[in-house]
Amino acid sequence: MLGQTDLWLLSPEIAMTGLALLVVVLDFFVKRKAIISIVSIAGLAVPAACATWIAVTDNRTITGFYGMLRVDNYALFFDFLFILIGAGTVLASYDYVRLYMKNAGEFYALMLFALVGAMLMASTGELITIYIALELTSFPLYVMAGMLRNSVPGDPGSASRSSEAGIKYVLLGAMSSAILLYGMALLYGTTGSTDLGEIARALTSIGKGPDSLVLLLAEVFIFAGFGFKISAVPFHMWAPDIYQGAPTPGTLFFSVASKTAGFAALIRVFVDGGLFSASSFYLWGLIGVAAVLSMTLGNVVAIAQTDIKRMMAYSSIAQAGYILVGFTALAFNPSSASASTNSAMLVFLAVYVISNIGAFAGIIALANATGGERVRDFDGLVRRSPALALGMSLCLLSLAGIPPFAGAISKIFIFITAWQGGGFLPFIVIIALLNSVISLVYYAGVVYRIFVAPPPREDRLRVSPALTAAMTLSVIGILAATVFFQPLLLAGKMGALDLFGFLTLASK
Amino acid sequence: MSWLLTILVFLPTVGALAVMVAPKGAVRWVAAGFTALTFVLSLWSYFGPVFHMGFIGPLNNPSGFGDVAHPAWLDAAPWINIDVGSLHLNIQYRLGADGLSIFMLILNALLSFLAVIGSWNVTLRTREYMALLLILETGVMGVFCAFDLYLFWLLWEVELIPMFLLIAIWGGKRREYAAWKFVIYTIFGSAFMLGGIILTYFSLGNQTGTYSATFDYLAAHHVAGNFAVGGLAISAQLLIFLLLYLGFAIKLPMIPFHTWLPDAHTEAPTAVSVLLAGVLLKMGAYGLIRICIDFAPEGAHQFALPLAVLGAINILYGAGCSLVQSDMKKVIAYSSVSHMGFVILGVAAAVGPGATNMAFKEAALTGAALQMFSHGAITGMLFFCVGVLYDKAHIREIDVFGGLQARMPRLTWIYTFAAMASLGLPGLSGFVAEYLIYTSSYAIYPAQTIVAASAMILTAAYLLWMLKRAFYGPLNPRWSAIPDASWLEMAPLLMLGVVVVFVGVYPGFLLNLLQPSLHNIMQTVGGTVSAVHP
Repeated sequence: MLGQTDLWLLSPEIAMTGLALLVVVLDFFVKRKAIISIVSIAGLAVPAACATWIAVTDNRTITGFYGMLRVDNYALFFDFLFILIGAGTVLASYDYVRLYMKNAGEFYALMLFALVGAMLMASTGELITIYIALELTSFPLYVMAGMLRNSVPGDPGSASRSSEAGIKYVLLGAMSSAILLYGMALLYGTTGSTDLGEIARALTSIGKGPDSLVLLLAEVFIFAGFGFKISAVPFHMWAPDIYQGAPTPGTLFFSVASKTAGFAALIRVFVDGGLFSASSFYLWGLIGVAAVLSMTLGNVVAIAQTDIKRMMAYSSIAQAGYILVGFTALAFNPSSASASTNSAMLVFLAVYVISNIGAFAGIIALANATGGERVRDFDGLVRRSPALALGMSLCLLSLAGIPPFAGAISKIFIFITAWQGGGFLPFIVIIALLNSVISLVYYAGVVYRIFVAPPPREDRLRVSPALTAAMTLSVIGILAATVFFQPLLLAGKMGALDLFGFLTLASK
Repeated sequence: MSWLLTILVFLPTVGALAVMVAPKGAVRWVAAGFTALTFVLSLWSYFGPVFHMGFIGPLNNPSGFGDVAHPAWLDAAPWINIDVGSLHLNIQYRLGADGLSIFMLILNALLSFLAVIGSWNVTLRTREYMALLLILETGVMGVFCAFDLYLFWLLWEVELIPMFLLIAIWGGKRREYAAWKFVIYTIFGSAFMLGGIILTYFSLGNQTGTYSATFDYLAAHHVAGNFAVGGLAISAQLLIFLLLYLGFAIKLPMIPFHTWLPDAHTEAPTAVSVLLAGVLLKMGAYGLIRICIDFAPEGAHQFALPLAVLGAINILYGAGCSLVQSDMKKVIAYSSVSHMGFVILGVAAAVGPGATNMAFKEAALTGAALQMFSHGAITGMLFFCVGVLYDKAHIREIDVFGGLQARMPRLTWIYTFAAMASLGLPGLSGFVAEYLIYTSSYAIYPAQTIVAASAMILTAAYLLWMLKRAFYGPLNPRWSAIPDASWLEMAPLLMLGVVVVFVGVYPGFLLNLLQPSLHNIMQTVGGTVSAVHP
């Protein structure tokens, strides 16, 4: 029977949906767009409070709705991450939306709906729900990509590029979810269930028998479907165009929310569904190749970019590659020992989210003040706005993994845990380390422009309070994550252990 | 927890923030104030234990400033400690200072203070310049007192970005090229170093069951056995040594990884060249002594012969290159390559073959450590001299000058003094270090030592020839109106000169400081050597 507990477990998502609806309704009645932004960001406190309430309850049930909902520590870790993403996006987008987009309410409502989907993707243990949650995340993103109806002054092509990005995103997104759905169908055909726990049990009893080719096909299709969301090579083609074309706050949101949600569901399906334990040699090889290609292609092509958003697109492809190194280790060694790799991936994602929000806040601030989104527009930024320059540099260096910032520690952590897996993993880690060196060329390249190159104009840039807040939060987040890395690790560990704890239960 | 080292490391960062918000006129004074305060505190790291133990205590007490296991100063706190699955990650916030650290801390604090004084005339973006110098000081301080291998690596990288920007913004004509070259070389080295650190940590943890990267633990326990790399078995310690050493070798710099140094030195502004030669190269030497040979003594022992040969080549090749340079700063840059070769040779001798001549080996290691300090002071002086000259003449080609002593008696005097110290005149600090290394490494590696010693002639040649062409002979009429060095410019030179004379006349001051911690390292090495050659 469904009861109060089920609703209680779903309360963060319910609160988020309510908030989104409230924003839609407010948009009709409120003239001042600032109020909508304030409601959006303040309202995030409600889902956060719900998630906290669930998190602090001891000995709670973690499954609801007949096992469809699975609110374990893993799900809660991502819930908090998504709420953080929401807050960061609202702060960073406030001025851009006010200046260049006529429809503030729609933008925030769509973002909140996407967050509902993303939270569900992390907290469900059933294939159909995952698929629906994925579509709930994706559709708002398609609209957000194409939302820039009037061109930004100084960049006459931006509105048409935005429409183009929207169309491309819809087409490629539809194709990828079709592939994902096909993979899920094959998995259902093999095991006879859509519940991840049941699938894991069925796969254990089937073993690596004659069905393993179908199983491999299912796994590859599912990986391809999520690979689109996380923009891993070779499913990355959409990212540069759409990152460049979409309104910049939208790009910020894609780069963190879509990737985080994709990874949340990907890890959940493969680990909870027991796909790794049942899979044969080829799978980890394929994922390893995807990891190596993502890192190498992302980093090398990013060097050649002149548009900062395209550069960040390739950077995010490369970052997905680093996380996939951990995922390869999971695939290679799917015993419960891999909880360490999993927690490393969670921590890496959290640090990536914080750093990326800060970097995009810097990009948006510059675009608002000058209209420029090219890499060379960062020339001499330190002369025009020292605080913005310092914050932006810190975030970029954290993304590059320059010690002693949190980005470096989380990267080392993921590499160490992958290295421990043995086999071919050390070689993949070495490639990843070399890639970190390559990535320095473009991250430090922007820092170099900020500090060294002569500024095009000697004026002072004005940075709005909202963007200052977004940047400050990111910088404080990075520094706090550096000093207090231990609590972050513990949170990641709890999430990881929950996932693997369930795995061991399922196999009994 | 004593807090002193924490304050020493982070006070310059606080200073950098203060510089960023200071009123325009006060920027230099704020920077000078913070570096001076750091210098005074760094002196307390020496005098504190001295007062504590009675004035004569540590100087004659064999355990005076302690060794890596019992350092005189220790700030430790848990930072990251987690067990997930099979992974045990344990990183401590652990700062410590024994004799080997303390004298590098003092040198760094002194040179940073002098760098601020020596940069008093920098007018381009003074605020950022001073802030970056202070952040650089934090990074180097951290390296010299990190007592946890992961923390060491994290702090090792702190200097990278400030140095990059200092060269790239305030450098000479080819500053961009030099800055990028510096960054790429350094980051490559540190990627390998990180590999070595991870390998050490986990192979040792798997062997002993205790996962820890603190220096005292790593000095007391060593990795055993072999690794299979591509089907070939390689001694675990040799692999670890090579991975770690690659990072340090680039910093040192050792041939063939030295090519970034002449470029960086030539393009960097004066005070940054001083810091580069004075303390940044010493990070490599310090890592070699503190980490490579203490944590992988067997690997170091196996690599001793190549190390000695490379050291000798470094000395000879650096000196030879100096001889043919026309740019005065390049002469000194290559002389740095040559002089850092002494450190390599000294360390090679310390880990070389033979279990009976431990006294010689310990002397060689002491010489290597002393050479770190002495080279820092002397080369700092030389770079300051060139900087003063360049500020007045805006050119550094040796042949353009001539007979400057008629117009610049003060600068000529101090330049000659620094050159004499650099070529190893007895009574000055360079002599003590080189003498210790030559006499003791001759007992271990006679052939390499003879080759290296022959470079002394080249050293004398390039320095004296440079002096003769620039300062003596008839005055080139082009410079008939050049002013002499001002007393503000002379101040850092004189302070370093006092240090050079003091160490040259009374080396016991530093030797006593170094002795316990080097003795501890030599016991580790000696144990290994006698196990290999019973």
